Amino acid sequence: MRKLFAIAALTSLVAAGAAHATGVGVGVFGGLSYPIIQDDVASGSMLGLRAPVSLAPMITVEPFYASSSLGDAEVTLGGLPYTREGFSGKAYGLNVMLGSPIGMGFKFYPIVGIGKYKLERTGTDINEVGYNIGLGIGIGATPKLSLQVRGELELVKTGDTSRKFGNATAGLTYSLMP
Amino acid sequence: MKWLKFMVPALVLSLAAAGCILVSGQFLVDFALDDFDVSTESTVTREDVDLNTNEDYADHKDELKAIADIAVLGTLKNNLSGNIGIEVWMTATPTTYTTSTEVSNNATKLWGPFVVLGNASKTVDWNESANLFSGPGKALLLNEIKGDGQFTIYAIGNSTTYSVDVDNGVLAIVLDFGK
Repeated sequence: MRKLFAIAALTSLVAAGAAHATGVGVGVFGGLSYPIIQDDVASGSMLGLRAPVSLAPMITVEPFYASSSLGDAEVTLGGLPYTREGFSGKAYGLNVMLGSPIGMGFKFYPIVGIGKYKLERTGTDINEVGYNIGLGIGIGATPKLSLQVRGELELVKTGDTSRKFGNATAGLTYSLMP
Repeated sequence: MKWLKFMVPALVLSLAAAGCILVSGQFLVDFALDDFDVSTESTVTREDVDLNTNEDYADHKDELKAIADIAVLGTLKNNLSGNIGIEVWMTATPTTYTTSTEVSNNATKLWGPFVVLGNASKTVDWNESANLFSGPGKALLLNEIKGDGQFTIYAIGNSTTYSVDVDNGVLAIVLDFGK
């Protein structure tokens, strides 16, 4: 129920903004996710969807959905090899970017975001708020299609600490408007 | 569009609030157990654990926030024909119980049962092991890890007669450290 409410609130927010939008796009992305200072999980892949909505020349908001599959940690303990399965992750949230990632030319933009993150594996279920911050580059070869390359630091809150990931992604965004 | 004026600062503030969780990490601390037998033919097996002997734990003890993951690992060999479930129990203070009844009456169940088929040998799988911890046992363990790091663990079987060899035993704990 809370999840539905959050999605509905997010959709309303973006829809309200989109009414004043100067640019709207949809995109897909994929890449790699690297756990930072985590002994019990290894790097893996991620993919997702996002929809940038330019609300003003300098501000773009972007709802996103991402799914990740992190790698198994392999360690030797007591002389025996052991494997701990990696997290299966899902996240949805909202990014805010300074500038617009879509359109012709070369765009460079900072990103901050907040979202709901779920990390699951046998014996562990993390369902918490997360934050991300990073930098992106948009390369528009045509007026409608652009390549997006991003590097982001993602923090998923776990009580007084966090699970941190460095994400490197690339994707394509199609401009629906203008 | 006025909401935009508030949204960007709100997100920045959220990230600033996350600052206290920035300097943190998940570190694996393992405590090796001596090879031992779990048998009804002898007194109950116990191990006094002192996590302070682990350098990582000792160095970061003050920054410890939570248990991120935990597993009891090792290879168990069932010497009898019947299936057996092995359990690990713990006490917060040093104890010297000698029978499984004393253990189950006074200690807190931490882990198990891990089932080993008759006359078979089985290495504990980390993923399976992580699912065998009891809530009260995990809470007690966290309390001890945040406390003096010293506690006693016992291994017992869940039937009236059993004989199991435990080799390469390890208590593996992934700890959440943060400043």
